[in-house]
Amino acid sequence: MALVSLALGVPAIAVAENSLPQSVGTVRLQQDTSAAEIEMLDIGLAIFDAGIPADKSTHSKLGIFPEIRKSEAQFMAVILRQTLIDSAAWGVVRVLPQADSSAELLISGKIVHSDGLSLVLQISARDATGRQWLDRRYSDETWESDYPVAPGADPFIDLYRQVANDLLAFRRQLSAAELRQVRQVAELRYAGSLSPEAFGGYLQRSEEGRYSVLRLPAQGDPMMQRVTTIRNQEFLFIDTVDEQYASLYEQMSPTYNLWRQYGREQAIYRKEYQQRVANRDSRGRKGSFVAMQQTYDAYKWSKIHEQDLDELALGFNNEVTPTTLEVSGKVFRLNGTLDTQYSEWRTILRQIFTLETGLPPQ
Amino acid sequence: MLLLACVCLVLSACGSSKTVPQVSSSNPVDLAGSWEMDYGQSDNIQTKLDTLVRELRRDAERRARSSGSMNQAPGAGIVVGSSGANSGASIIGLAQMSELITRSPLLRIKQDEERISVKREETFALSCEFHSGEFHTVETPFGTETCGWNAHQLVFRILLPEGLSIQHVMTLGPEGERLNIATTVVSDQVSYPFTLNRVYNRFVPGSSGFRCTQTLTRGRVCTTETAD
Repeated sequence: MALVSLALGVPAIAVAENSLPQSVGTVRLQQDTSAAEIEMLDIGLAIFDAGIPADKSTHSKLGIFPEIRKSEAQFMAVILRQTLIDSAAWGVVRVLPQADSSAELLISGKIVHSDGLSLVLQISARDATGRQWLDRRYSDETWESDYPVAPGADPFIDLYRQVANDLLAFRRQLSAAELRQVRQVAELRYAGSLSPEAFGGYLQRSEEGRYSVLRLPAQGDPMMQRVTTIRNQEFLFIDTVDEQYASLYEQMSPTYNLWRQYGREQAIYRKEYQQRVANRDSRGRKGSFVAMQQTYDAYKWSKIHEQDLDELALGFNNEVTPTTLEVSGKVFRLNGTLDTQYSEWRTILRQIFTLETGLPPQ
Repeated sequence: MLLLACVCLVLSACGSSKTVPQVSSSNPVDLAGSWEMDYGQSDNIQTKLDTLVRELRRDAERRARSSGSMNQAPGAGIVVGSSGANSGASIIGLAQMSELITRSPLLRIKQDEERISVKREETFALSCEFHSGEFHTVETPFGTETCGWNAHQLVFRILLPEGLSIQHVMTLGPEGERLNIATTVVSDQVSYPFTLNRVYNRFVPGSSGFRCTQTLTRGRVCTTETAD
């Protein structure tokens, strides 16, 4: 890489390839169709961190199209959700607009690199007790045969399968008692988020941030029943949102897959160009019109290609539709981004809980 | 790095601006609009080429005189078809490159507070983001592009591999109806830069009866326009 930089007189491509982890290769999704009820934890899958640097001036250098990245952050979470569902090893898998620490198993992700040729994601998973299941950087590369992308397929599906397999492998190490405790802690952490006064004493948090159950509410505790009702209302919202995410995925797939195909071609063209320059594969003598035109045309086509991608990025309007939900006989219409709607909905639910229980709000 | 510095030095000494571009905090000039080339007002490439050849010949003669070879024929430093620096092929190649780079007859410029995009017919757009008035640099394996305002002039510098560099300096006329683009091409095989001034006149695009947009799935799609 250093040699190429010197030969060109310009810095090398922004993403140093040696910083990328090894590709996951071809991965077969492991399924667990015989999982016991206690093993089938519910998963909360937060929308990925788009990995867009705050410094706008770096975006073009890093090949980041912010609008596309924001869409990818949702798109990729939906693919991982579908992969986890396909593994038949889990309970309900929900894509969340924000991370919810009271999820039985919370998965977070960050897009490190994405250009159609390679995808790098940082994935972490932590259960409600605070146990870290996963914190790993995954990488996958596409082949020419991955494009055009067949309907329902994804060129980086091996990466998602690897994540699903790793999660399943970790879960298999846990005993039924440990899994049961995850569920109990998740429920009590949610209850504690509604009313720390009423539920704060059920859990203990260690210095390392791990939660354990001190005592459990009585069977049929009316307060816990209200908590369950409120939580179901929250799930209702998330399920509605998930439909929007799935719809976005459906709408976005054809165009996005073409965009990735072009992105791959451009990435390969860049690599080959660097190789050609390193090998001094020039058609004309240095300084001749033919040689200068060759240099200029390489730049010109890279710009035309980049500007085509830029125009496409403008079409990725991440429009959100208002969500209408009903609770306690009242209809609520939520506006703004899904993230904002989610916060608004949670606030409404907490107000309802406070009104119903007479407990002081959090 | 030394090469880049040299090229920058040469570039800053040519074109329509004689000063080294500095960061300017003044309000940028509004270049937005549609522009068409005025061939009558623009530089004639043959005249510019003749001027460059004369300068190089004078240089060669000066060098010859100072080295004591007084009996050398005028213009002996330039032999068309020979190789090496300041060869005829390199000089003509430089002029051809300048013509190639500046041949866009129509420009469409979009500008707001954060960026400008100069769409040029038949080639790529020159675009620039304004970050706190600083010159903005984008580096790719194909070349390095620096742009920004130098007082009332918009400057684009493109440093390409193989010792080739290009500078465009855009200057709006006093009435705002004329735009001059001074394009300077520098090759490390020719000791003088080659500058071509292209003059553009503002025009209001009339309805062509159709409108085209670039799409991903169907390529360039054109639809007929109906009169409102």
